[in-house]
Amino acid sequence: MLNKAALFLVYGLALSLSTAEAVELGQGVQAHGFLSQSLVHTSDNRLGGRSDDGMAADMREIGGNLSWRPSADWLLSGQALVRWAGESDAGDVRLDYGFVDRTLLTSSASSLGVRVGKIKNPYGFFNTTRDVAKTRPGIIMPQSVYMDRVRNFFLAAPGIGFYGNHENANGNLAWQISALRPEVNDPDLTYFMLGTLARGHFEGKDSWLGQAMFESEGGRWRAGLSLGEMAMKYHRGAGDPFAAGQSRVPTWVVSLEHNTEHWSLTTEYAQNSGHSRGYNIPIVEQDNVTEAWYAQLTRRFGEGWQGFLRYDAFFADKNDRAGSLFSPSYMRFAKDWSVGVRRDVGRWAWSGEWHHVDGTAWLSPTDTPIGVSVRKWDMLLLQGAWYF
Amino acid sequence: MRLIGWFLLMFISLQVAAVEVVVNRGVAGTSLAQASARAFFGLRLTKWPDGRPVQVFVLPDGHPTHAALCKEQLNLYPYQLRQAWDRLVYSGLAQAPIEVASEEEMISRVATTPGALGYVRKVKQNDPVKILYVE
Repeated sequence: MLNKAALFLVYGLALSLSTAEAVELGQGVQAHGFLSQSLVHTSDNRLGGRSDDGMAADMREIGGNLSWRPSADWLLSGQALVRWAGESDAGDVRLDYGFVDRTLLTSSASSLGVRVGKIKNPYGFFNTTRDVAKTRPGIIMPQSVYMDRVRNFFLAAPGIGFYGNHENANGNLAWQISALRPEVNDPDLTYFMLGTLARGHFEGKDSWLGQAMFESEGGRWRAGLSLGEMAMKYHRGAGDPFAAGQSRVPTWVVSLEHNTEHWSLTTEYAQNSGHSRGYNIPIVEQDNVTEAWYAQLTRRFGEGWQGFLRYDAFFADKNDRAGSLFSPSYMRFAKDWSVGVRRDVGRWAWSGEWHHVDGTAWLSPTDTPIGVSVRKWDMLLLQGAWYF
Repeated sequence: MRLIGWFLLMFISLQVAAVEVVVNRGVAGTSLAQASARAFFGLRLTKWPDGRPVQVFVLPDGHPTHAALCKEQLNLYPYQLRQAWDRLVYSGLAQAPIEVASEEEMISRVATTPGALGYVRKVKQNDPVKILYVE
């Protein structure tokens, strides 16, 4: 059903692209699309293919959306996405989001509404458009807060969400609160939660996620809090050492950004707690809190050029940041310095960035098995992205 | 004397905004609070107070009149508006503003589209649109 909706979107977009480049498709209908291709080289470890043997080219995204506003109070939106990312994403067409939005109340300074369907989860500044290259703060997301290994945890989910927006002379407050079932049937996520021996898969249970975002003076300062609890249950596979347990993950992110004409400073801090019960394996049933944060300084040079410097840190257990209880210890943290440059020209964005990383916590073990991983590594990424 | 004339001219040009916010003549009112202008151009409010839908028209990001709208009327930078639009448009939460290529096209689209909101450097006497003063 969802994949059929995604295919329908792809056909609709192909049709719209063949007829015109414009995004206006008649009364209240719009189309937008994006694609990106990345090249990755790593000194050790792998990301987006065999990056340690040369330049890997297995990271790309193609997406397109259609929206229809039949009247002032109704909006229908859907987006199809195809994503490749080394061994962990293979390029299946999927429905990224698809929902109906109904405005319930409006005044001259406020609005209130409801969305029903598959909705992008509001988590931090960037989660809702994390697969659209031009909206990311770099070629890859800050992995501490937006870890691609567990992206399906937060990405988008079927549910219902209420939202509001309030304006006054000092700024605007936007909030959203959703009841949802996370889409967690994903080998990378199972691996992250239970390790290599698990043979089963997860299924989402009733969860909730909320966000409040305040912007002063059109965005000079932006401050947000995202808060929620994701829940899931485990279905055993054949020969599985784990029993059919359940997990709850309370989560929160604090986000802060300051924007001036030439500079932006962006920082976010997140914690996820893990509470797992009923697996009959004591080590996965220990409560655990992860810690993640990054700070990024972006400078706009003019003529479409910009550059950034970022420090990004993730700790799988905030009470054991060094990973001393595990071997190798460096699989429990990742500290990443990166510097990047980007040039926007028309509908294109060209980017390059370099990372120096201590630790492997956010690498997907399907790309980089722990046995062959290296603690300190460097990475060069190049990307071309197009959008309309 | 010539010097005084110069100063007078500079003073006048400083007082007059280099960009004017215009709407379709069917839109009620003569002024708009800056917070509301930001909300309309930021796609956060999509209806006029009488309940009719707002249709926003914009010039390309690099157009000097667009930069003037952002800085002088909305008190923000063009990149902030673009980032806000992208966040909404690529997560399905709003439809993008319609981009027009020139100020002439802006006037004709705003004049013929009910609920239209746009901007030009200077409205000419016979332009079939209405000016909204941002306060």
